[in-house]
Order: sequence, then structure tokens, then C-alpha cells
Amino acid sequence: MTSIILLLGLGVGVLVGLLGIGGGVALVPAMVYLLGMDQHLAQGTSLFILLPPVGVGALREYWKQGQVDLQAGILCAVGILFGALGGSLVALPLPSRHLQGLFGCFLMLSAILLWRKAQPESKTSGDGGRAYG
Amino acid sequence: MADGADGMGRGVGVFLTACVCGIASGLFGIGGGVLLVPLLGLLFSFSQHRAQGTSLVALIPPTGVLALLAYARHGFVSWKTGLLLIPGVFLGGIVGGRLAEKLEPQRMRQVFAGILFALGTWQAFSAWWR
Repeated sequence: MTSIILLLGLGVGVLVGLLGIGGGVALVPAMVYLLGMDQHLAQGTSLFILLPPVGVGALREYWKQGQVDLQAGILCAVGILFGALGGSLVALPLPSRHLQGLFGCFLMLSAILLWRKAQPESKTSGDGGRAYG
Repeated sequence: MADGADGMGRGVGVFLTACVCGIASGLFGIGGGVLLVPLLGLLFSFSQHRAQGTSLVALIPPTGVLALLAYARHGFVSWKTGLLLIPGVFLGGIVGGRLAEKLEPQRMRQVFAGILFALGTWQAFSAWWR
């Protein structure tokens, strides 16, 4: 079991560096399905994992390439700090079942947003050129 | 390219966007980057690599700490599993960061978006139509 957990962390970490995300979005379902955790427990544990700066190694690679907007990043950090408190106050009283369902819907929405952004970047505004792939 | 000019208005916009990502962060126990990266690109025309690097900055401070305390008060934290996952996520992050420079990120993101969508459908389905 321990080795499964260690490997899971490594796999999620690759996503962290590759996609510039925290990894919670992959960790939560993995803990629910692979480790059989309850939805609330998986989410709380995911927040704990994100407490230390797990992305700092990945950030260093981006920094070397000059791909960082420090000012925007700091603003985002402050916004997320307080937004997250508000979100947790909504999530905690919810029954686990509904929270899991909502999480599923959120994953679908994120997937659509990520996919949209995956279109070739063009100067035309809106969704003019729908050239997927 | 995305610097200066109407810095103030843009700053407020970025901050408000981050607040929305933060609500998702507390609600779903995630970092919020999965929402922040596409939104920085879509709303503020960050290049993909720049959006990802900036998102990683936002994840360095313990932004989830207030939410974590709320979850911990309800006993919803598995400390041991968390401790076992942390080193892997950190080391994997370095590998992924190196890969991201070399790989065409487009295909990767599409694959990830596909997996996320399938996972999300599965989760919503198993929660509500069991």
C-alpha cells in the first residue's frame, strides 16, 4: 500500500510540472478510487499535501525559461487564500455524496476549459477558428 | 507582452479571477491551478507556458491553509497518506517541469483534459445514479 501511495505521488507530480497545476484535481479522485477514501477525507488530505510548496521544483524550471509573471502570481495567491476559506465553508456541511457529484461536475468543466485553451493560440478573438488538434 | 499598460485594471481582474479559483480550491480540496491556468490564458491572453509558470507561483505560499484548518477541525485529513504523497509530488514536479520545456504541451493538455472529463463523469455518475 505504501509503495502505491509513493508512486501515486510521483505520477501526480509529473502532472504538476507538466501542466502548472497543484495536482489536487488528480489527487482527490485517485485517493477516492485507489485508496477508497471518503470524498471529504480525500479533499482535506489533498489540501494538506498542497501546504508545503510541492510545486517549487517545477517553478524553478519555468523561472529559468522566463515563463513567470511574478506580480500576477502573487495576486492570485492572495485571492486563492481567502477564496479557499469561503469554499471550504460551503463544502463541509454538504453530504459526501453530493460533494462527490459536484466534484465530478467541476472536473468536467475544468476539462472543457483546458481543452479550449489547448486550441492553437491565434490572434483572432472569440472562438473563431475551431481547429482542434 | 502582458506587462504594464492598464496594469491596475488587469491586476483587479486577475485578483477576482483568483478569488473564484480559491472558492473552487476550498470547495473541492484542490490547489486551484487547474482552473487558474486556462483562465489566465482565456481572459488575460497569457501564453500557455507563462500561465503555467504563474500558476505555480500562486501555489508556492500555503494558500489552502485556511481551508485545511476548516477540514482538519472536522477530522477530514489523513495526515499519514498526505505525508507519503508529498515527496513524490515534489520530485515528479521537477521531472514534469523539465518535460514541459521539451514536449509540445498541446497534446499533453488534450490528453489530460480527456482523462479529467472521463473521471468527472464517473464521479458524478457514481455519486448520483448509484
